[in-house]
Amino acid sequence: MQQLLSILLTGLTLGAVYAAFALALVMIWRSTRIVNFAQAPMAMVTTYVALVLIDAGASYWVGFVAALLSGFLLGAVIERLVVRHVEGKAEINAVILTLGLFIVLHSLAAIVFGARFRSFPAPFGIRGFQVGDSTVPLTGFGIFTLVAVLVVMGLLVALFRGTDIGLRMRAAAFGPEVARLLGVKVGRMLTLGWALASVVGSLAGILIAGGGLVHPGYMDSVVVYGFVAAVLGGLDSPGGAVVGGLALGLTLSLVSGYVGSEVVPLSALLVLVVVLLVRPGGLFATVHERRV
Amino acid sequence: MQQPQALRRVTDHTLGRHLVVGAVGVVVVVALMSFLGSFRVSQLASFSYLAIAAAGLTVLTGLNGQLSLGHGAFMAIGAYTAAVLQRSDSGLPVVVVLLGAVVVATLVGAVVGMAAARLHGPYLAGATLALAIAVPGLAIFWSDLLGGEQGLTVPLPEVPGWFADAVFFLTATDPSSSRYVAYLAGVALVLVLVLLANVSSSRVGRRWKAVRDDEVAAQLAGIDLGRARVLAFVVSAACAGLAGGLMAFVVRLTAPSGFTLTLSLTLVTAIVLGGLGSLAGALIGAALLTFLPQLATGLGGDLGLTDVQAAELAPLVYGVVMVLVILLAPGGLVGTVRMRQARRAALRAAAAAPAPQHDAPPSSERERSS
Amino acid sequence: MTVLDVQDLTTTYGAVRALDGVTFTAPEGKVTAVLGANGAGKTTLLRTLSGLVPPTRGTATLGDTDLLSTPAEEMTRAGLAHVPEGRGVIAQLTVEENLRLGSLGARPQTERRFGLERVFGLFPLLGDRSNQVAHTLSGGERQMLVIARALLAEPSILLLDEPSLGLAPRVVGQIFDLLRGLVDEQGLTVLLVEQNARSALSIADVGLVLDLGKVVVHDDARTLVDDSSLRHAYLGF
Repeated sequence: MQQLLSILLTGLTLGAVYAAFALALVMIWRSTRIVNFAQAPMAMVTTYVALVLIDAGASYWVGFVAALLSGFLLGAVIERLVVRHVEGKAEINAVILTLGLFIVLHSLAAIVFGARFRSFPAPFGIRGFQVGDSTVPLTGFGIFTLVAVLVVMGLLVALFRGTDIGLRMRAAAFGPEVARLLGVKVGRMLTLGWALASVVGSLAGILIAGGGLVHPGYMDSVVVYGFVAAVLGGLDSPGGAVVGGLALGLTLSLVSGYVGSEVVPLSALLVLVVVLLVRPGGLFATVHERRV
Repeated sequence: MQQPQALRRVTDHTLGRHLVVGAVGVVVVVALMSFLGSFRVSQLASFSYLAIAAAGLTVLTGLNGQLSLGHGAFMAIGAYTAAVLQRSDSGLPVVVVLLGAVVVATLVGAVVGMAAARLHGPYLAGATLALAIAVPGLAIFWSDLLGGEQGLTVPLPEVPGWFADAVFFLTATDPSSSRYVAYLAGVALVLVLVLLANVSSSRVGRRWKAVRDDEVAAQLAGIDLGRARVLAFVVSAACAGLAGGLMAFVVRLTAPSGFTLTLSLTLVTAIVLGGLGSLAGALIGAALLTFLPQLATGLGGDLGLTDVQAAELAPLVYGVVMVLVILLAPGGLVGTVRMRQARRAALRAAAAAPAPQHDAPPSSERERSS
Repeated sequence: MTVLDVQDLTTTYGAVRALDGVTFTAPEGKVTAVLGANGAGKTTLLRTLSGLVPPTRGTATLGDTDLLSTPAEEMTRAGLAHVPEGRGVIAQLTVEENLRLGSLGARPQTERRFGLERVFGLFPLLGDRSNQVAHTLSGGERQMLVIARALLAEPSILLLDEPSLGLAPRVVGQIFDLLRGLVDEQGLTVLLVEQNARSALSIADVGLVLDLGKVVVHDDARTLVDDSSLRHAYLGF
């Protein structure tokens, strides 16, 4: 019982992080029809930015904010300078481009920050709370992770639903030409969309890193889990990405606990293939026919 | 110079031309492997297996339009199969061990291919990416058989007597096992290239291209989309399996750390650099991947980088080049050269016979302004 | 008074001349119908005027604004609202959000003729459905939505591309009556591209017939309707 509870709670926090990462992928997919595989190394780089600051004596929170800000910048720069040129072209070009960026960021990080494993601090305890004799398998950092993801998602909903700029961004994503005719600066909105998505990806990166080890490849598997979660939710739906992330986090945590952590990536692959073949539109599809 | 009648008759047929090129290739391989130093020979062996995998991938991606980011996984499957067979003390000849690697990779490729045949673009990329991440974990899960994190060392094969005699006859030295492996890799590469070149120019290859270019039209022409896709995937996975088997013998160790995502992405890099769909491009890409790292690492050392940093220069260069290729010359090296040649030929033709002028087609899609 | 002045406008797609030296003016407070067969260049004319397609030659001015140097996303602020072919609703947004987008791009420093209230008065259906997602609307409702959205931008000229496409004749009639009303009461200027020449001329003041990118007829709508040989040659009724 204790073990199951612990597994489920771990799954919930992991799921929250996957949800955030999936959300980042969905935001970019909705606006530019590109799956940004480079999201993983982008988040890795911003986490290193935080680590460098923290190692230089800054507090965790300074690092945290710096990671998100650098995520914003990195996302904007990459969209404006590189991705802009393949938007609306053959989809294979966009995929290859994000892979090229993947490799570039990877090796740059290894050159600049080193390729060895480095430990990343956590602002809250990473041990469970003591209640009497037993340990509740809920950690301070786990709670922080959940809260941080929820807050960021709340802010995004407020931005997209409640503000003019959010409305313009959605219009630019759904109907770029019509949006232009209505006076929306579509290019700028796409850049902003990438920047915000990159912030959310960076959040996932720094949360995964907390209390663990980072190295240039530490986010590689997360991009796969984020992608699986996003596809579970239909790839087009932010809400679906969140539910997909949580479901995947719980599933993978159960697999890891009862079968073995080595088969976690394999089970993610199975989940992905089954979803794509059985319900290509994702778990919450309203449209039944979709090209995947 | 007039070609001899008989030779011309042979080279008029595609198959014949490929066989002639293949025979020349074998001679070149034998010459290179016999007279180069052992370091160069081992580099050539690495080049050969990378080129085999890249050639298989470029057929899948370039001709059939399926982008796989998971071919490192098929290499892993081939390598582990070869390692297990070679360690089993069954005394199987190397060629049989390699065939075993191909068979297992082909079977897995058929299963994955059936799923992949229904996916497109980013979905296929994501699914194969998951495959690349998932497969190495199995080596740890079945660590009793597959050696876990440490991996399996691969015993060197014995050099067969006829081979030793032949090499002694050519070079007056006894060949080492690793030179034997290099020969095998080189000959295998030539074989694979001849086969793939034939498949590409055959009916099967034309079907693959038809499926890539226009699914609906292909279907109306009576092509079974799923079968064409699965077949292309299987052929490509078989190549990766062979490459993995050879890699096991060349590297002499198969461990999960040898089959990271980087390997899969490296293969994609090779085919993008050379130009999607071109076998020559795959060779060029594989050559860059084999020889550039040494160059870049040396350069990095001169610039005062540490070894670890210098080792990352090569991937940095590939990555940057890959981004630039997509932005500036999406046809890759071979595609761009071909386009230039075609344009020059067209200009010559136009100059020779002033035909009624047609305006040039628009150079690219209309620009989407910000 | 002239609102839109187009001189020698030429647009090419590769080797194809979609517009070939088009010259005309659209008078203020009137409906100018642009007619012609498929491929005559009607849609290209609108897309060139609103900055979606670059012209190769010519001039186009709206009041004091040089349209050809104004980017598409500045058009509504310059007073030009373009309702593209195929309805142009953003289907994933609600009716109210679509309308808000219209107001966001509105021409600055003009007297507001069309607030949200006013628009809901003109199109009561939209008021009832303001919280519905736009893809749930019928074709006619979508056409009303895009016209309402364009009005919220307070345009000095409204460019409409095939508003009758795919709609039942009764609905077309409703929409055209409404347009005519707006022109008569609000002094709106309309450039109306239509395949359906008969309906278009029924509310138009001036007709402009394009053939293979050239203006072949430019005359009073009445004259066009009365000239049977012209009708047979270009308008198909």
